Amino acid sequence: MTGYRELAETLEEVAALRGRLDKVERLAGILGRVGAEELPAAARLLSGSPFAEHEEAVTSVGYATILRAASAVTGWDEETVRACAIAIGDLGEAVGLLRPAQAAGGMTIAEAEAFFRGLAGRRKPAEKREAVEAMLGRSSAVEAKYLLKTLSGGLRIGADVTTVEEAIAQAFGRDREAVARARRDSGDVGETAAAARADRLGEIRFRLFHPIGFMLASPIESAEEVAGELPDFAVEDKFDGIRAHAHKDGQRVALFSRTLDEVTPQFPEIARALAGLEGSFVLDGEIVAWREDERRPASFFRLQRRLGRKAPEASLLEEIPTAFVAYDCLVRGGRPLFEESWETRRQELDAAAAGSGLLVSEVFRAATPEELETLFAAARARGNEGLMLKRRDSAYQAGKRGRAWRKWKKALASIDVVVTAVEQGHGKRAGMLSDYTFAVRAEEGLVNIGKAYSGLSDEEIRRLSTRFRKSTIARYGPVRAVTPEIVIEVSFDSIQKSARHKSGFALRFPRIVRLRPDRSPADITSLDEVRELYERLTGGSG
Amino acid sequence: MASPAPLLDSRPEGLFAPAFGAFVDPAAPAARAILTHAHADHAVAGHGEVWATPETLALYRRRNPEWSGASRPLAYGEEVAQNGARLRLVPAGHVLGSAQVWIGAEEESLLYTGDFKLRTGRTCAPAEAPAAGTLVMETTFGLPVFVFPPREVLERRILDACRDALASGETPVLLAYALGKAQEVAALLTEAGIPTVLHGAAWKLLPEYAAAGVALPLSRPYESGPAKEGEALVTPPSTARSPMVRAIRRRRVIYLSGWALREASRLEFEADVLVPMSDHADFPDLRRHVASVAPRRVVTLHGFARDFARILGAGGVPAEALTGREERPQPEAEEP
Repeated sequence: MTGYRELAETLEEVAALRGRLDKVERLAGILGRVGAEELPAAARLLSGSPFAEHEEAVTSVGYATILRAASAVTGWDEETVRACAIAIGDLGEAVGLLRPAQAAGGMTIAEAEAFFRGLAGRRKPAEKREAVEAMLGRSSAVEAKYLLKTLSGGLRIGADVTTVEEAIAQAFGRDREAVARARRDSGDVGETAAAARADRLGEIRFRLFHPIGFMLASPIESAEEVAGELPDFAVEDKFDGIRAHAHKDGQRVALFSRTLDEVTPQFPEIARALAGLEGSFVLDGEIVAWREDERRPASFFRLQRRLGRKAPEASLLEEIPTAFVAYDCLVRGGRPLFEESWETRRQELDAAAAGSGLLVSEVFRAATPEELETLFAAARARGNEGLMLKRRDSAYQAGKRGRAWRKWKKALASIDVVVTAVEQGHGKRAGMLSDYTFAVRAEEGLVNIGKAYSGLSDEEIRRLSTRFRKSTIARYGPVRAVTPEIVIEVSFDSIQKSARHKSGFALRFPRIVRLRPDRSPADITSLDEVRELYERLTGGSG
Repeated sequence: MASPAPLLDSRPEGLFAPAFGAFVDPAAPAARAILTHAHADHAVAGHGEVWATPETLALYRRRNPEWSGASRPLAYGEEVAQNGARLRLVPAGHVLGSAQVWIGAEEESLLYTGDFKLRTGRTCAPAEAPAAGTLVMETTFGLPVFVFPPREVLERRILDACRDALASGETPVLLAYALGKAQEVAALLTEAGIPTVLHGAAWKLLPEYAAAGVALPLSRPYESGPAKEGEALVTPPSTARSPMVRAIRRRRVIYLSGWALREASRLEFEADVLVPMSDHADFPDLRRHVASVAPRRVVTLHGFARDFARILGAGGVPAEALTGREERPQPEAEEP
């Protein structure tokens, strides 16, 4: 039996290594050492999640709950533990440092797994807190650190599940691609590790209703960028909705979002429509708000009102109907098509859709950048975001962002705004203040209009973090109100009336273009100018 | 706001000792300043008159060659009596020349720590803890999460990392600020027989260190050329992303700071090895200093002043924060 401590120590070492190959080697080392029964859990825990990707289980333990448990275990009051977490930049790290160095710890991997599964099975915060407290109480410093990092959903060790895939391949001498395929089809890095160990990767078959990763597109900035490849690309409108995979067999339908969460109950009309189709399949496509009168998607802002509702009421279903527009077919009649070309998959999609009422994207061709520009303008005129370009000969690379798929959006407009509040970023930018809330000027003063994750360089963010720390006026939990003095240019894809911000407007996909040190807060865009922009861009209709 | 008055008054310009007509570590030029040490955030240029230890005065002059004010060197323990009050400088253990300021008058006494640490080092006098009724102390690391491993452990980690790097053909790059830590780590490496290349900001202070008996025979300045095989580079953290560091293709970056307890500093400084070696007291040492000085009340400033005051208060020691900002000094800063 291998201890969870060894796993945690491995994660600690992996975090300290700079080279990816070194990280893979270290991970492969422990995967090769753990026993067969513990291997699946070990592989999952090393990739940062206690559960298989296809599982719906979530531990859902809130920050306040962890804080309370950490307080009980460390003997420090919650305010002090919270201050420590902020000072260190991570609650898991802070608790690890607060645990006495002599705490022996010593739980098995199986016990750690049982702990997470137990949390997923509990409802009441008090029960969750007791479980976390009991577990922390018997953990060593490094164990506590990684248990909490896993609970809060980010190991931050510069390795992800694809690093673990590579380590599995190395540990058991298997083909890297075969491992990746097995993980995609099983939806479980743990099962994949076990199969690799037993040399049974080939036996893993895709299973319907297990969510799979999405193939992602790399952005392009101009038509010229892809001029040479244009004949190889199929071109589609880029819909502004929610990307989803639809699994269907008989009457059973499941919709999975990009986060691999099932969202079927939120879209009963889509589930109903798909259930009525022939055969079994997995489709890739977009959930959009639908305008039946014009037979086209409505704006994302309409769809937004349908989001986050577990079971929408009838009136909302009627007011904002949704539809699923399919653009890829990944499995049909039990046959996985991932390795087939886009061309072949599209033929399968068209065959499945023929005469069925299934909505599918329209496919265009562009021979020249000029033709692509024309298609872009037409897509925009149809209310869509831009264009998708997909190499006709490309396989479906689940969970990867590559150059076989490209996306082309153009920012609609940009405005100059001043930063009014900042927050710490996550992941790579943890510890830096990289999430900005910004405002335009109005007669009554500054009014917030949006919030964006900084698109600035690390260097700029670092410099600004220092400045923001000095100019903090007030703190509300993780949010710092800062002296409004930093002017930035923000671009966005569309603009909508909204009650979320004081300005009465909201921006879609706001992103920070650059710092404007040449401008003072007095020079920023005014609310009147935003109103004009809104009238001009939407014709006032929204 | 808490004020350590009457021996040391909190004024908008800074802490003021009325009996001596002097500000302590003022942030702007003052007619008379008592400087606890020569770091730029405590010793700004342009004071009319400076009272400090001879070592601090020499370092202050080196760093501010244009300064033409008057100076009053005060050796550790030398007493100045004025207007019914007595003042002396006490070793603070922070960097070469660093001092705490003890002021006494009749029944009252006060100790202002400046920056201090209790651990001993190779390059400065160890801190002392004279009794005082009021303790005005820095609390840079005033949270229980800041516990640094023992000095021997940290030094072994540094040497292991350097030797391991050298053995695999990499240049050890030690990120250490220019006044204090650079010389301390260079002295450690010298003892271990590892030649060092010192960044100019640290190199130019070596005469003052030599005068204090710290010789670094195995060191040379970066100006005479980049590090060669077998040498380690010692350079301030602010240069972590500079062309000078990045030009070293095969390097192992070792970040030396109390802030190295934060894993985020790995990314911030592109560091391979984090060593929490600090010239500030860690949390247990802050509490130890309070216990040794045994004051009736404590006033905290810098860093986690409010948190530390709250923790002391909960433990039965009356304490107030003079600066309310629960801010960590920036690890980017040259001399945190």
